Amino acid sequence: MILEAVLAASLLVRVPAQEGVVAPDVPVAGECAADPAMLTAEARALLADAGAAPETATLRRARDLVRRARKAAPGAGLDLEAADLAFAAGDDEEGADLLAAAAERDPTRLSPPELLLLARRADSRRRWRDAIARYRDLGRALERGGEAADWVPARVRELELEARADAIAPPSAGPSVEARLALADGKRALAAGRLQEARERLRSALDLAPEYTEALLALGAVETRARRPAAAIRAYRGALAAEPERIEALTALANLLWEEPDRRTKEESLRLLDRAAALRPDLRTLLRVSASRWAEFGDAPKALERLDRFLEHASPGERADAAALRDALSRRVRGAAEEPTPSAATAEEPASSLAVPEGPAAAAVDRWRKAQVYLERGGADADEEALRLLEEAERIDPAFAGAPELAASIHLRHERWREAEDALRRSIRLDPSRVANHEQLARLLDRSPDRSVEALDAWRKAEAAGSTEALILLARAAEHAGSPREALRLYRRYENEAPAGPGADEAAAAVRRLEAGERQTVLVVCAASALVLLAALWLVWRRRAGLTFAEWLARDPGKAQEARPVVGRLRHEVLKHGGMLLSDSASRLEESDAETRRATAQLLSTRLYGESGARGLLAEADAAIAQLTALARESGVRLNLRHRDPVFSWLLRGLAVLRGARRSLRRVADHPTRLRDAAFARRLLRRAAACFAVSSGPELSRTVERAAVLPVRADALRALLAGVAEERDTPAPVLELIDGLAEGALPGVCISALDWETVWRNLFGNALDEARRRGGSIRLGLCAERRRDPVTGEARLRLVLADDLEGGIDSARIRERGAERGLGVIVELLRKSDGSVEVVPAPRSGYTKGIAVDLPASEETA
Amino acid sequence: MSARPRRVVLIVEDGTEYRDAFRRLSSEGAAVDWLHAPDAAAARRLLAERQVDAVFVDVVFDRTPEEALVGDREALAARYSGDRGRALAYLASHQGFYVAAALAPAIPPGVPVLLAYDFTGDPARLAAIRESIPALEGVEEGASASRLVDRLLGKS
Repeated sequence: MILEAVLAASLLVRVPAQEGVVAPDVPVAGECAADPAMLTAEARALLADAGAAPETATLRRARDLVRRARKAAPGAGLDLEAADLAFAAGDDEEGADLLAAAAERDPTRLSPPELLLLARRADSRRRWRDAIARYRDLGRALERGGEAADWVPARVRELELEARADAIAPPSAGPSVEARLALADGKRALAAGRLQEARERLRSALDLAPEYTEALLALGAVETRARRPAAAIRAYRGALAAEPERIEALTALANLLWEEPDRRTKEESLRLLDRAAALRPDLRTLLRVSASRWAEFGDAPKALERLDRFLEHASPGERADAAALRDALSRRVRGAAEEPTPSAATAEEPASSLAVPEGPAAAAVDRWRKAQVYLERGGADADEEALRLLEEAERIDPAFAGAPELAASIHLRHERWREAEDALRRSIRLDPSRVANHEQLARLLDRSPDRSVEALDAWRKAEAAGSTEALILLARAAEHAGSPREALRLYRRYENEAPAGPGADEAAAAVRRLEAGERQTVLVVCAASALVLLAALWLVWRRRAGLTFAEWLARDPGKAQEARPVVGRLRHEVLKHGGMLLSDSASRLEESDAETRRATAQLLSTRLYGESGARGLLAEADAAIAQLTALARESGVRLNLRHRDPVFSWLLRGLAVLRGARRSLRRVADHPTRLRDAAFARRLLRRAAACFAVSSGPELSRTVERAAVLPVRADALRALLAGVAEERDTPAPVLELIDGLAEGALPGVCISALDWETVWRNLFGNALDEARRRGGSIRLGLCAERRRDPVTGEARLRLVLADDLEGGIDSARIRERGAERGLGVIVELLRKSDGSVEVVPAPRSGYTKGIAVDLPASEETA
Repeated sequence: MSARPRRVVLIVEDGTEYRDAFRRLSSEGAAVDWLHAPDAAAARRLLAERQVDAVFVDVVFDRTPEEALVGDREALAARYSGDRGRALAYLASHQGFYVAAALAPAIPPGVPVLLAYDFTGDPARLAAIRESIPALEGVEEGASASRLVDRLLGKS
């Protein structure tokens, strides 16, 4: 208020200029165009004549004269006179301009109100440097006049803040949806190795959002993979300009620049690497790489310093690896102790070139910029002031993501984790596309072991936003969680998207390791699958292959004779005794009397499992089955009784059930009160009884009989006789059927066809040979007698071959000299089939004797 | 009112399996006096000593000493072309038939004789045996102990 009053009172009061160029007492000399003094004098004269209120025309004329004088002889005095005239003419703008010009030439010529006027005008026009200069002039003027000037420095500081804030680039608005889609397309193409397409899509994204860091990083990756380092460097520089602390951009650019031949570029590379290491101390390998490169660069002290920092937290293995390098560096440092050491590299922030965005509200951005200035100044008060400004910015523009983001960085610096997390979450909510915020939040959450799940989720969101660092973190987590395939996918993505990133080496090593593991897994899976397949095939083969009992005997009926007693034993021991025991036993186990249950269980244990030294039902059955299997194997046949045989499969199933009941029965025998065991055993016994009931013993015997029985046909024997006679070149005698033996009325006999033929071939041959030996013909007849064993009732058939030869063989000779004339073969073959041969009286007149063949017969007529 | 006399059944078998099963598993088993003979000679003695209500004969006597087996060994050997071993094996595996035949004269008429053999497949064979042992019956394979006891006691 005081200043404004002073200003109003003083503006139009101009003290005559005190400069040498224009004297105040110069006379008015009319139109003297060339002489500034004359022009000035004329102007003054005009004004003097016009009095206190000069007319407009007079004023215009006077201003014109002064203007011409200033042109001819510029100076602060004329500027001030011209300013007075302009103010008098109501032209405040020109008046102020002229005052400003005077102030530039000699600020001491201006009065404090004039200086204040100029300062306020520059202030209002945001010309901060002008305002600051004028306020400083004003301060000095006030001090010279003995007036209070202590308020001026505070105002100057405010203006300086404004000036520095103006120099700071505002945060960029997030990329558009179209730009994000283009980035996603580009990344997909990059992952698929379609570099040209990836490049086009990423450039589209950058056309839409030139400062889009993720797109620039991805483009850098594309160009790196396409072996276009210059283009890759450009892309990474762009990313770094947009986000100076983006670690991927720093490391990728450092790596690319390091490959360049010139030394200055390498030096820049080293500085970037150091900056990355300073920003991310957790990425310790950066220090190690930096040490190696500084060593290669020839700066041993720097290399040693970085290596030592790396070794502070190194593992024993890392120490061992670095030992040689450290020794070499130490020697070089000691040797060059006298040489001047270059100054430590300083991180240089690239100046931001961003224009003021239109998105966030200007006032909010203004406060954000001021907050940045405070942060640059440093100090606790500055941080708090910055936070206050950022809070204001958030309040003014709740959609401005830059404010909470910056606040988060301040809180992080002060390790105020909760506030930092809140600020980061606010910032992410406002702009989910900012990868750095996602990463920062994830790292913050990673600090607390009990929030690892949240941290992982944050890394996933960072990955979705485009973070390549998240890829590495998620890959490690996946590998740790036992998902190598997912880990491999993420490591591969990292290799694609950040080929020169800080984790490139780790990703490459992990990919090699996981691919090797995957190959091994594939091999193991293939081998296991092959084994399973083979096992399955083997099982199928076991189920499908092999013959049934009936098929075997049909193929090899000669084995029926041997199989018959085995089947008989099986029927007797298993089906008969088993059937007798099981169903009743099951009922007895249901009874309430414990002693009955115990006695029943004991009886069953003994009978079924052969306890107490006796051979049990199961052992008998197993032995019989094994014997049948062995007999079949002698025929070259594998029996499949378990899976294919309609009778044996039930029998075997019943036996398996009985095996399962053993333990329960034993328990009941020992502890008859164990009702659960009794109930379990009861169920199994009934199930086994049902299986045995289905397994038909008579059917087994019929199968044996069908295979063993050979039909006896007189016409077949006649044909055989004719054949034998032809072999001996002898006329075949008629085989007469004696006693009305009818064709087809004979039962079958239990003998194999081959044995049967051999028996009769020998019998016919002997008769024909004997007849020829005697030089005459022979009469042969055949009769048959069906008989039954008087005790067992078994059917037998006796066939008698009668002849009319005198003397010859008798039963005693057959038994004693059986080897003669093939008789021994006949005896042996018949014995094998439970048969016999003997010489009997002639069955009728006209014959001298008969040779009787006796064999077991079938019950039915064959 | 007098108590019903206990029934007496003679079991001829080379072990004790049938006797034990009949006695322990049949509900009637405890109410029967089970006479047990391991061979034909012992059975004959028991038949001479006791009046029986039924006779049960096992078929296979493969645990019986050779000398205790009944049957015409010579005739059987001749049937097997002089193979005495096969003849003896046949005799043991069919001993029940021979025992039944040997006991038939000593068994009173009307006393059932159950032979542990299933004649289901060859009824003509049973008919042939019955010519000499009219009371002979076979047992169906898989019959329970209770069922067999019922048959021995004439309950079915």
